[in-house]
Amino acid sequence: MIVLSPPARVCLLLGITLIVLAGSGGAFTAPDLTALYLGWWPRLVMALLAGGGLALAGAVMQQALRNPLATPTTLGVVSGTQFSLLVATVAFPGLLIVGREWVALAGGAMAMGVVVLLAWRSRLAPVVVILAGLIVNLYLSALSIVMLLLHQEKLHGVLIWGAGSLAQSGWDGVAFLWPRLLLAAPLAILLARPLDILSLGDAQARSLGVSLHYIRLAALGVALFLAACVTSVAGVVGFVGLAAPTAARLLGARGFLAVASWSVAIGALLLAVIDLLLQAVSASSPLIIPTGAMTAVLGGPLLLWLLFRLKLSGKPPLRQRPALPSSRHGSLKWGLMLLGLLAAIALSLGTGQALQGWRWFDLAHAAAMLEWRLPRALAAGSAGAILAIAGVIVQRLTRNPMASPELLGISGGAALGLIGALFLLRGATIPALVTAGFIGALVGIAVVILLNRRSGFIPQRLLLTGVAVTAIASGVQSILLAGGDPRGQQAIAWMSGSTYYVDITAAAIIAAVAIVSLLVVPLFSRWLDLLPLGATVATGLGLNTNRSRFVLLLVVALLTACATLIVGPLSFVGLLAPHMARMAGFTNARSHLLGAAGLGCLLMVAADWVGRQVLYPQEIPAGLVASLVGGIYFFIGMRRL
Amino acid sequence: MKTVIQLAFAGLLSLGLSLPLAAEPLKSRFVTPDWTVAETLLALGVRPQGVGELAGYQSWVGTPAMPASVQDIGLRSQPNLELLIEMQPEKILLTRMFRSLERPMSRIAPTTLIDNQAGETAWQSMVAQTKEIGRIANRSAAADALIRAAEQHIDALAGQIDYTGEPLLVVQFMDAVHARVFGINSLYGSVLERLRIDNAWTGRANSWGFALTSLRELAAIEGRLVIVAPTPLGTDVTASGLWQALPSVRRGDVLWLPPAWSFGALPSAQRFAEILAEAL
Repeated sequence: MIVLSPPARVCLLLGITLIVLAGSGGAFTAPDLTALYLGWWPRLVMALLAGGGLALAGAVMQQALRNPLATPTTLGVVSGTQFSLLVATVAFPGLLIVGREWVALAGGAMAMGVVVLLAWRSRLAPVVVILAGLIVNLYLSALSIVMLLLHQEKLHGVLIWGAGSLAQSGWDGVAFLWPRLLLAAPLAILLARPLDILSLGDAQARSLGVSLHYIRLAALGVALFLAACVTSVAGVVGFVGLAAPTAARLLGARGFLAVASWSVAIGALLLAVIDLLLQAVSASSPLIIPTGAMTAVLGGPLLLWLLFRLKLSGKPPLRQRPALPSSRHGSLKWGLMLLGLLAAIALSLGTGQALQGWRWFDLAHAAAMLEWRLPRALAAGSAGAILAIAGVIVQRLTRNPMASPELLGISGGAALGLIGALFLLRGATIPALVTAGFIGALVGIAVVILLNRRSGFIPQRLLLTGVAVTAIASGVQSILLAGGDPRGQQAIAWMSGSTYYVDITAAAIIAAVAIVSLLVVPLFSRWLDLLPLGATVATGLGLNTNRSRFVLLLVVALLTACATLIVGPLSFVGLLAPHMARMAGFTNARSHLLGAAGLGCLLMVAADWVGRQVLYPQEIPAGLVASLVGGIYFFIGMRRL
Repeated sequence: MKTVIQLAFAGLLSLGLSLPLAAEPLKSRFVTPDWTVAETLLALGVRPQGVGELAGYQSWVGTPAMPASVQDIGLRSQPNLELLIEMQPEKILLTRMFRSLERPMSRIAPTTLIDNQAGETAWQSMVAQTKEIGRIANRSAAADALIRAAEQHIDALAGQIDYTGEPLLVVQFMDAVHARVFGINSLYGSVLERLRIDNAWTGRANSWGFALTSLRELAAIEGRLVIVAPTPLGTDVTASGLWQALPSVRRGDVLWLPPAWSFGALPSAQRFAEILAEAL
């Protein structure tokens, strides 16, 4: 009797499931042979190829970066390809005829390039890479939402592709994919294998005279090509690249070659089985459930589980550059900031476009508009300040300059709540939507807190929890958008976060929250001064780190939930304002808090105004403008850290 | 002889129907973000003061043509508030889909929420919606005339084409593999019903009466394909093997139609009936 190794047993099991599902799905008995040969079989082969290709890309990326969480999705490749296809569809449809895969490849390469660049300084430390990937993903999804807001009708096809429906209409897709996989796969394995031997450490490798960096980059490049080719024909398929290599390793595969080959087998079979199951379910539901988006939803919990097995070092992932000396020119800084804030408010309240063109400080006109402009400016500014305060807390709590309240999963929860209300209630009103969003945010917080309670809120883990929640939220979102329901446009408008629906009552509430937080949060200054010194030092100085982390996290969660409902889940203010404040030399916790709050307020008031003017009469939501402009600053600033 | 009379009758009707469209529509101070309401207003001979995303209207709805003097009020989901205040509209018309706009809009001008899914069938809903818009715009007579004319026109077309062939399968392609297929409770479906043509799609559908399907699902359905433009840019839907194998393609009786807004109102329905009748 032959004894099978554990991965072989799993593959056998998956294979049997596949055959059973195929049989009950009519693979051998279907009455309509053409649909079978030109629709069913190509789809199955596509699922196998795509699953295998993505699994291999994931395995190679994980090997090259020595990071168990590296996948085409987490490194931004997938959202890069998606964004480049959106742009091509709207602006350069001719390019799609020339070659979809090249458009996809260019977008994927650009996104991954940015991720690698962002994490370069920290020597591509696993957590930094994943956070950089999340930031790039969020940034690209902000850009995509702008495109969707402005060109909804043109983009239905891209949305279906974005949800990763594996449906085929012949053998063209398969014929496109297999030679490319055949070409790239051996290359990737050849390049990644030396890394296995040299996995002892960079220093040792260097002493052997091998340029690890170049091998690493080359292997990443080939993995990128694999992922982009698969994605350009099969659509966005999430997390097979994570699940398959993980499973292979857990089942006992050792050494890169074994992990890679079992990954390919498991990935291919897994995607095919999921696809067949979903086809069986879809047949009786009014909605196509796209396989790719569904795997992303299923992959979320897997990612969470993995996070808790990941060994995280206690070292801070990035050393923060010492800020400029702060004592000198203290009052000048504050004065400048106040001046800027006043200018932004004046611009926002006094100036705007009208039917007959620009009205610069036309007092009569501005007075008539005050009733409308004041709530928006007030709400934008307050939300900006709140997010900035939350950002300062998170960055100090996690000792990570890439941390941001937007990354904690709270926003993902809010987005899910909004989508639920829009699609389940017939004609949802504003209060219903706000309530649903808030409940969603609270659920998101509860999940994050419950998951992190046992481990004592380890900062890096806390941040990564957001990656998983975000993955689930975006999967659900793409399933709903792919169906083409006109309510999808409403969902997009809400999630883009604008001050559009704010009336003076709502603005007053959010302003009150901002003021209260400005008064209360500085009371935690001592904690915020001690926590960045590291848990050991902080404990030594008499701080109960667990309790202080928990309390601070709760404060962040509440603040973020309030602000998210006004400016949406995608503003980068919580990331940027603390940063800019630190660069400007606001170093101790108290001045950091106040400085960031001022800058956040300034940023959002300006973004709100710009968003209302730049494409007049169409309005770009303030949160999106802030993330577009701020994101660029961030990417430039981040490289210098 | 009978057909000649019918044809003449239909011609007369369509002439009569196009009259209010040809005449310069009355200026009004009604504003709507919704294209469906906008096309109904135009068909009632009322020129709206402002409509959302005009460029989109031109490419997706097209007819009735939007007069150049109509103001673009920005995104349909978030029309520009300051602009609206300046325009001082007399009334703002919303549909249920834009319900979240009700509160901000009602601070600018009296705002009415039109129920565009009031009837049991798509046709009844369109009729009810037309009546309500007519009542609001003080054009009830025109609304009744529009409904009557549309019904008679389509009924006349039904007699004229007297289609007895394969049931029709009305689809709109989203990409090379996926298409929306329109069931009985969609705009297209309700027109088919009035034209006394069988709809080949009897399967699942969402509350707008359509379902997203893949080509493979369509291949299993006996029916004559009716493809409504626009087909997606950058893809050739006819290139695939499965397309070549579709029953309708093999018979060579696929119908390609110019665009008609699939979420529209009576004018779009009528336009769809006309282009379909012409193609048949």
